[in-house]
Amino acid sequence: MGKVNIIGVGMVKFAKPGKSEDYNVMARKAAAAALADAGIAYNEVQQAYAGYVYGDSTCGQRVVYELGLTGIPVFNVNNNCSTGSTALFLARQAIEGGSVDCALVVGFEKMEKGALGAKWDDRANPLEAHANLMNEVQGFAQAPPAAQMFGGAGREYRWQHGTRRETFAKISEKARKHANNNPLALFRDVLSVEEILASPEIFDPLTRYQCCPPTCGAAAAVLCSDAFAKKHGREGAVKIIAQAMTTDYASSFDEKSMIKMVGFDMAKQAAKQVYEASGIGPNDVDVIELHDCFTANELLTYEALGLCPEGEAEKFIWDGDNTYGGKFVTNPSGGLLSKGHPLGATGLAQCAELVWQLRGQADKRQVKDAKVGLQHNLGLGGACVVTMYQA
Amino acid sequence: MSNKDLRFDGRVAVVTGAGNGLGRSHAHLLASRGAKVVVNDLGGSAHGKGSSQKAADRVVAEIKEAGGEAVANYDSVTDGEKIIQCALDSFGKVDIVINNAGILRDVSFHKMSQDDWDLIYQVHVLGSFKVSHAAWPHMREQRYGRIIMTSSAAGLYGNFGQANYSTAKLGLAGFGLTLAHEGRKRGIHVNTIAPVAGSRMTETILPPDLIAALKPEYVSPLVAYLCHESCEETGGIFEVGGGMVAKLRWQRTEGKMYRIGRDMAPEDIREAWPTVVDFGKATYPTDAMSAIKPVLDNIAEGPSKGGNKFIDCDEALGYEFPESKSSYEQKDLALYALGVGAARDPLNSKDLQLVYEMHGEGFRSLPTFGVIPPLNAIIDMASKGKLAPGLNFGVERLLHGEQRLEVVRPLPTSCTLTHSIKVRDIWDKGKHAVVVMECISRDKHGDEVVRNDVSLLIKGAGGWGGERGPSDERNVPPKREADATTTEQLSANQALLYRLSGDVNPLHADPNFARAFGFERPILHGLCTFGHVARHVINAFCDGDPRYFKSIDVRFSGSVFPGETLHTEMWKESDTRIILQCTVKERDKLVISHAAVELFTEIPKAPDRSKKPTAKADKPASAEPISADVFTAIGQHIAQNSGLVQKVGKVFGFQLSSPDSAWTVDLKNGAGGVREGIDQADCTLEMTDADFMAMCAGKLNAQKLYFDGRLKIGGDVMASQKLTFLAKLDPKLVQQAAHARVGAGGETAPQKSAEAGPAEVFIGIGDHVARHPEIAQNIGKVYLWKLTDPDSLWTLDLKTPPGSVAAGEATKPNCTLELSQADFLAMSRGELNPQQMYFDGKLKISGDVMASQKLTFLKDIDPEKAKAAVAAAKQKGDVLKAKKPTATKKDEGPSAAEVVASLAKVLKAHPELAGEVGALVELRDTTSGTAWTLDLRAEAPGERVSEGAAEGPDSVFSIAAADLAALVRGDVHASVLFQRGKLRVDGDVGVAKRLGHLKQSLRANMSAAN
Repeated sequence: MGKVNIIGVGMVKFAKPGKSEDYNVMARKAAAAALADAGIAYNEVQQAYAGYVYGDSTCGQRVVYELGLTGIPVFNVNNNCSTGSTALFLARQAIEGGSVDCALVVGFEKMEKGALGAKWDDRANPLEAHANLMNEVQGFAQAPPAAQMFGGAGREYRWQHGTRRETFAKISEKARKHANNNPLALFRDVLSVEEILASPEIFDPLTRYQCCPPTCGAAAAVLCSDAFAKKHGREGAVKIIAQAMTTDYASSFDEKSMIKMVGFDMAKQAAKQVYEASGIGPNDVDVIELHDCFTANELLTYEALGLCPEGEAEKFIWDGDNTYGGKFVTNPSGGLLSKGHPLGATGLAQCAELVWQLRGQADKRQVKDAKVGLQHNLGLGGACVVTMYQA
Repeated sequence: MSNKDLRFDGRVAVVTGAGNGLGRSHAHLLASRGAKVVVNDLGGSAHGKGSSQKAADRVVAEIKEAGGEAVANYDSVTDGEKIIQCALDSFGKVDIVINNAGILRDVSFHKMSQDDWDLIYQVHVLGSFKVSHAAWPHMREQRYGRIIMTSSAAGLYGNFGQANYSTAKLGLAGFGLTLAHEGRKRGIHVNTIAPVAGSRMTETILPPDLIAALKPEYVSPLVAYLCHESCEETGGIFEVGGGMVAKLRWQRTEGKMYRIGRDMAPEDIREAWPTVVDFGKATYPTDAMSAIKPVLDNIAEGPSKGGNKFIDCDEALGYEFPESKSSYEQKDLALYALGVGAARDPLNSKDLQLVYEMHGEGFRSLPTFGVIPPLNAIIDMASKGKLAPGLNFGVERLLHGEQRLEVVRPLPTSCTLTHSIKVRDIWDKGKHAVVVMECISRDKHGDEVVRNDVSLLIKGAGGWGGERGPSDERNVPPKREADATTTEQLSANQALLYRLSGDVNPLHADPNFARAFGFERPILHGLCTFGHVARHVINAFCDGDPRYFKSIDVRFSGSVFPGETLHTEMWKESDTRIILQCTVKERDKLVISHAAVELFTEIPKAPDRSKKPTAKADKPASAEPISADVFTAIGQHIAQNSGLVQKVGKVFGFQLSSPDSAWTVDLKNGAGGVREGIDQADCTLEMTDADFMAMCAGKLNAQKLYFDGRLKIGGDVMASQKLTFLAKLDPKLVQQAAHARVGAGGETAPQKSAEAGPAEVFIGIGDHVARHPEIAQNIGKVYLWKLTDPDSLWTLDLKTPPGSVAAGEATKPNCTLELSQADFLAMSRGELNPQQMYFDGKLKISGDVMASQKLTFLKDIDPEKAKAAVAAAKQKGDVLKAKKPTATKKDEGPSAAEVVASLAKVLKAHPELAGEVGALVELRDTTSGTAWTLDLRAEAPGERVSEGAAEGPDSVFSIAAADLAALVRGDVHASVLFQRGKLRVDGDVGVAKRLGHLKQSLRANMSAAN
């Protein structure tokens, strides 16, 4: 696999629904910040990839037109919660394939209040197979569907491994602690395990503080070839050294397992491909941004990414191997739980955080001597993108 | 150098006037960061005299020495094309142009020659034009360029002795703004700086130490940033120097807008001057479009509706006041009635009804009271300042000219009204103007109660040439003797009595105040006279019954003094319309003219709210009795006890609240009966629905309710004591009524007979499906509907073509939907959204949940066609008959307590089983709320099983009794209950898994016990 440079990243402070600027303003600001960070003008961008889930067609153009009308190809990307990293994947592919030298990737989302739900009721539901499986395994409850799915996976894990409820809350406690140092995060107040457990139960074992909030925000990255980077004096830029994307395998539905249904095997396979392609295993990773839409999913992802052996996530968590001073630092940005989860922007916000970490620009939340970063971004429906970055 | 540094590698910059000062500093900075620089300098003096190549050469040498790349150019900026050509020849392109060259010719204006003017213009304006113009095509071609104009504070703000220079400098700012627009799409950014710097040009006027502080090095960084490719700024104007970098923009007052078509005289400008110059509400136009937008908006508003300094029709017409609220009760009505002369004869029974709440015939409200609440609202607003935006006259010009009032139905005896008041019309009567305010007052249900049109005559405020409005000559009396006349002498203190209803203007009370207004003594309120004449009509044409009164429309033509005699003449135009006028007998002065009263032919009833609770409440169709059932039962009770009517001989009105309903229990006329709404009641009882229900159930005593203020009794209070039979009402009658109301298949109580039941809805669905065979083809699923309260089962088969509907249970449904009958009916009427109901837990879906999403076609059913189908089915006798589910008596199994007892037995016999679990467990039965401690540790310090919560348990299991029984029976696996959330485990989940053995022993033990 060749190497693609990330010469610029940018994001805006995430905000609650109704409190944000419009998507085009947020996205333009994030993109302009990424361009400024890259030190290039918009007219040097040869292609743009825009990721968002909620919005009419061609929102991407609406965004980049505010930077310039240069007639370049603009792609609008929609892949549920993994939208941002899917856009990143396409841009990386275009540069690596030699089609372009420089691409802008921008992800944004202006979300509504409340839990995610289907927007269209007059056509087949893309998550029908997932929903049917869940109904078969645990029935439908009165709770947001995504919380039922990931929460159900958490239940299954608890049954298999006897995990305590506090262990899930511990993940949220860590997320808040990390976000406390991230001025761009939505929820920066530190919470105790007790406070997290005492918040209203959404779907056992998940309480409210263990679910990511609907969020508005935008983030962007500028990717380029080695030649382009050299031309602009950016030889030392952070690079994507491996990237893989997977969608559902038969196991998602055949095994009647909630853990499998919410994408455990997608993540596991994508991580495996990335480790093989890069020749760098999980033990050499320093910092990780992973898809903690719910605490249950962060716990499962530790095992899917091979950060700890299967069944040992509880020990991993209580040993503090997911935070500063431990084996890894997961979600130094605060993750989706605390930083927020604007669907289209999330994948790029993760990318931005890792780039800052690997450049040593992460200020108070800097992971010491971070050289290798790993990104995991997952969407139900489904798609999972795992990306490895190196300074 | 870090990645963050701004570099200009590969860029070519032209800096004019770069031999010294600012230009030299710009050139140095750009070159030091990789730009190739054309250093242009004519080499002249600061005043534009002479030329020498030295300056440019020196700067080029300095750059080269520092490792940069630069060439010198000595052309005049007025030969701009040569300078650009030099860049092209030397470096092949031009990316950046910094128009910096400049000179001074300071001289006060009266001494300024045209040479001074022309030279400054040529160097600054023409020079910047020539250089930029020559570079422009190249920048367009390469879709990239950065241009800087150098302006000056002298240009932006003016400066003594610099008329020529400031003209040129502000010209450059405008030049830059337009180039920014033209270059935007081509990647050309143009910005203007107004530097403060110590240079050759200023060294003559500034002290040396200040010049040192104003180094060019404080200006160049901004110039470099603006010229960098990453900078998105264009069209900006910046003041920079001495450590400051700041952006300038235009600020504009909101100003004064004159509507198109309105006269605009110099005096108007003078008057509006404070507004014109008020920056309190400023805007910041950024381009010509945003600058002109208010003008376009003003034009789009259309021509003015006219007005003058007293009245601005554009502002005032249609203005809606903030909503206001007021309440009144019987006492207010009585006080008003006294205020307008009612019951002057206290033995007149009809009049007494207007003021005495215990009158045997009931209390009645005088409809003209309807002017009081909104009028008070207006007076209140007027007292706080001007009436409305655009009504700029003082109160002294204002006369109450005309008044129209209309009641929708007899005024309730107490009510909270919400008033919506707006300026409806403004008429130009020539000398005077008329402003008509419309006031609509609504009750708490939003139903209109009374409407007032208040016409205010504004003296001397007309004459703008506007519309005159409707003819003034309406309600003119016919030329014949009046059909009825009434003469009534006012009390000398009538105004003092009337003012207590709200209009406390001292003009009607204070002799000194009245004299100041030119009246010999306080005058009567016009609306007091208005109330008198309305009463005269009611007495003459409605036999004193105010409930037949609909509306009144009058003009106030003259003042009345208290103590004078009113003489009202009335002409009957039709059964519903009376024309009238009123004169003061003593002075033969017309005081009310152009007046008419409209009457109802029958008394309008209050809107029937009794259906609301049954139709809209959450669980309307449950068999839980509601007040409607009680009244049905009362009706039956009356029918069964024929002596009751004779014994009681009164009509009772029940006004129930939350939910609201109104009922009449007639124990006076014929065989008596119960009906909805209140009419002809001798005695009215007001209470909450809940209290009424409790009273009829014998749980609450009517007398106590009355003394607690929870029961209000109007009219014949004594009659209420005859209602004791209510507490003895047979509960069976009520229960029967409730069951009848919710009976399956739409067999509802009489008051609800029109409403469709589930059978009708399913007939409609069946009809729709039959007419759209494609629905069944596309869906291919069978749905079972389980309706509850009352229970019924329905099958919607969209699998077997062409699709059908049947009462009863399907053999193999794909999807089962469970909801209450009421919710089902509400959903079929489109009042409830299935998805919302599902999330609210009102709709339970089992089986193929996704199949339920295919039922969206239900909302396409045409209600008219469904009705027709029901009618057709009824004619054929082909009506679906609801089927109740066959009750399968479930073996609920042992209670949790029994399970625990068995467990204790097992553990006693086999203590080793506990050791396999090895944990202290708390078991909570969520059905009964009981908790037990199960000590399953190898060595238990006390009893292994005990009731009560455990202290520091390893795990807590929470489970419903039925689920626990099923678990012990082996019907369901613990992991399934856990996954479904029916078994909740706090703490160590592993314990739950280790209970397997124990469960088997337990099962054996329990079946042995059975």
